[in-house]
Amino acid sequence: MNLQEYIELVFTDYTLRTITLGTAVLGAICGMLGSFAVLRKQSLLGDAISHAALPGIAIAFLIIGTKNSSIFLLGALISGLIGTFWIRGITKNTHLKSDTALGLILSLFFGFGMLLLTYIQKMPNANQAGLESYLFGQAATLLESDVWLMVIVTSISLVILLLFWKELKILLFDADYTKTLGFNTRFLDILITSFIVIAIVLGLQTVGVVLMSAMLLAPAAAARQWTNSLSIMVILAAIFGALSGVVGTAISASHNNLSTGPVIVLVAGVFVLFSFIFSPGRGLLFREIRFRKNRNDLQLHKTLSFMYNIAKTHEDIAHPHTIKILNNFQGFTRKSLQKLEDKDYVTIQGNMWSMTKSGYHTAANLYDQLTKENNE
Amino acid sequence: MSNAQIEIQLIASLVAIACAIPGTFLVLRKMALITDAISHSILPGIVIGFFITHDLSSPLLIIMAAASGVLTVVLVEFIQKTGLVKEDTAIGLVFPALFSIGIILIAKNANDVHLDIDAVLLGELAFAPFDRLILGGMDIGPKSLWIIGTILLITLGLLVTFFKELKVSTFDAGLASALGLSPVVMHYGLMTVSSITTVGAFDAVGAILVIALMIAPAATAYLLTNDLKKMLLLAILFGVGSAISGYWVAHGLDASISGSMTTVLGLLFLLVYLFAPNKGLFSVLYRQKRQRIEVSLLTFLLHLGNHSDDETERHVKHLNEHINWQKVKARSVLDLALKNNMIIIDNDIVFLTQKGKIFTSEAIDYIITNKNSEIENMKDRFFLFRG
Repeated sequence: MNLQEYIELVFTDYTLRTITLGTAVLGAICGMLGSFAVLRKQSLLGDAISHAALPGIAIAFLIIGTKNSSIFLLGALISGLIGTFWIRGITKNTHLKSDTALGLILSLFFGFGMLLLTYIQKMPNANQAGLESYLFGQAATLLESDVWLMVIVTSISLVILLLFWKELKILLFDADYTKTLGFNTRFLDILITSFIVIAIVLGLQTVGVVLMSAMLLAPAAAARQWTNSLSIMVILAAIFGALSGVVGTAISASHNNLSTGPVIVLVAGVFVLFSFIFSPGRGLLFREIRFRKNRNDLQLHKTLSFMYNIAKTHEDIAHPHTIKILNNFQGFTRKSLQKLEDKDYVTIQGNMWSMTKSGYHTAANLYDQLTKENNE
Repeated sequence: MSNAQIEIQLIASLVAIACAIPGTFLVLRKMALITDAISHSILPGIVIGFFITHDLSSPLLIIMAAASGVLTVVLVEFIQKTGLVKEDTAIGLVFPALFSIGIILIAKNANDVHLDIDAVLLGELAFAPFDRLILGGMDIGPKSLWIIGTILLITLGLLVTFFKELKVSTFDAGLASALGLSPVVMHYGLMTVSSITTVGAFDAVGAILVIALMIAPAATAYLLTNDLKKMLLLAILFGVGSAISGYWVAHGLDASISGSMTTVLGLLFLLVYLFAPNKGLFSVLYRQKRQRIEVSLLTFLLHLGNHSDDETERHVKHLNEHINWQKVKARSVLDLALKNNMIIIDNDIVFLTQKGKIFTSEAIDYIITNKNSEIENMKDRFFLFRG
């Protein structure tokens, strides 16, 4: 199947269209809210919440007795919120650290959820099939109504985000200052945490409990590398998330036996990897290039000042010296010498070098400039 | 009890002990979440090991799985060192990626692999006694009993041998490296042990519940004691206790054994979290309330001291509105001060006693110098009744 055929299929095939739309919207909302999670250093909260949602789904099923994804979402939301607030209670009231609290809630809630799930499986009830899909996610079970739900929640959270944009932004970067300004930080905190929980719960059906945290983190972590501005980061993260959803769905649809959730996560992972390496400001590649350039500049300066110290002792600064005497000096390389000559700081004749006037002048002012800059 | 039931409980208890020991140190070192990462990311290791050997019980699987656990730690640390993202984000990025690779590998080869993701994540302890280890034609017990027993023995041996070193490097990494103990060796040693334990335990209780068995007993014990040896013992006790009672709960409900073990652990943690003597929620809230009143008392005494020459400032009615307290609060502060002989009330005018004066000046000294332990000692000396 080539690309054009696939795109045609997306527009004609109901299931594929639903899944593509669903994963795209999900990726966008996760990226958007995930940015806040990453910046608030709550990255793993997503992991804990998605696991903590499981007992809620099971209890919802036990109560209503049939499969109904919006009731399940409600149950997941409630137990996710309980988990979140318990985590905050543990870190606030005891000396247990946040990592322990997260791990505790994650595993204990999940274990309880598993107990309920296995209990449900033994019940003589034909409707139980499908609960397992929340574990690893099954994008194929997405219905159009699910997508509509996602769209509605996304737009509501977008509106809320825009309404409280200024407050949330200041809360992210300086919580104490926000409090002194008189904002209700507790309310803002609960607001943003609740929306993160909602995003996670929405994604459970598609990518599953285990992989949900990556859905939340990866687009935001990738977007963080390209910008220092919150608004651009949120938009970028939403785009990255939506793209991973679409591309992941496309890859998994065009192969047999490839579940959508893991593929989406891996695509998002590729975005992260690409951003880590190639982002111009923070990326590893450009950072390495900058390091090298700085190191070379430093060596150049060292060599130049060494030459200057020799030339200083002579009346005629252009007095030639052998290159050999540079050898016991570490900063000297043939390349840096070549560079110095290119800059017209020294002239080289055979194996002798001599300083030019401009070189002497630059070297004399090398450290002056540094101290001048420092004084300013 | 049938033979199989005893064996299941034995395996569960051994798993609980083997998890509690590294778990204690992970909780103390604030690295509890790395177990979460390891337990997920051993999946690709197991799958690749399975492709090589085509035998689910081959020791190569354990080695591959432990290797991918250590790989996770290395990757997390590498990403963290680049400074591009924080540590928790690094963990959250690495393990889902590795786990996804594992799932895809399984799914792509679903036809010739008898490897179930559910089984990897959730484990099934009930089937453990049926997988026997046959040596020279003789049945010497369930295979997983031998695996986890060996891991436990190694862990115990390492614990006893390096207890001192572990203790120092956990509580004072700087001192440990000054004494010549390499923090890197300790760190990776602990990580390797945790990976191997996770791998050994996963086929009994499943990957997720290994996290519960590692973190929950240790965290529960940490709320009860500050002594490392006691904490280790308590963690082991809690682990074994909930393993055995969890088994019987599962037996009664006819549900997943590992799920009910975790649920018991959860209930245990909830109990301790609420009612632990010094660090439980209720005693913390009680202490906070008491400290609030005592701080108010101090403010009140300071106010009295500042206005020792002005009787109108010290009138009982005036105090009510002046310090802006509600009636109940003003009443309780006044009562507390009276009960502790820090003030006397004469004709509705409040007077500071000699004891009250000394207390105020010492408390001010404390606030200025701010040495942590002193205020509680001082309160013990002055207070007959606490707030």
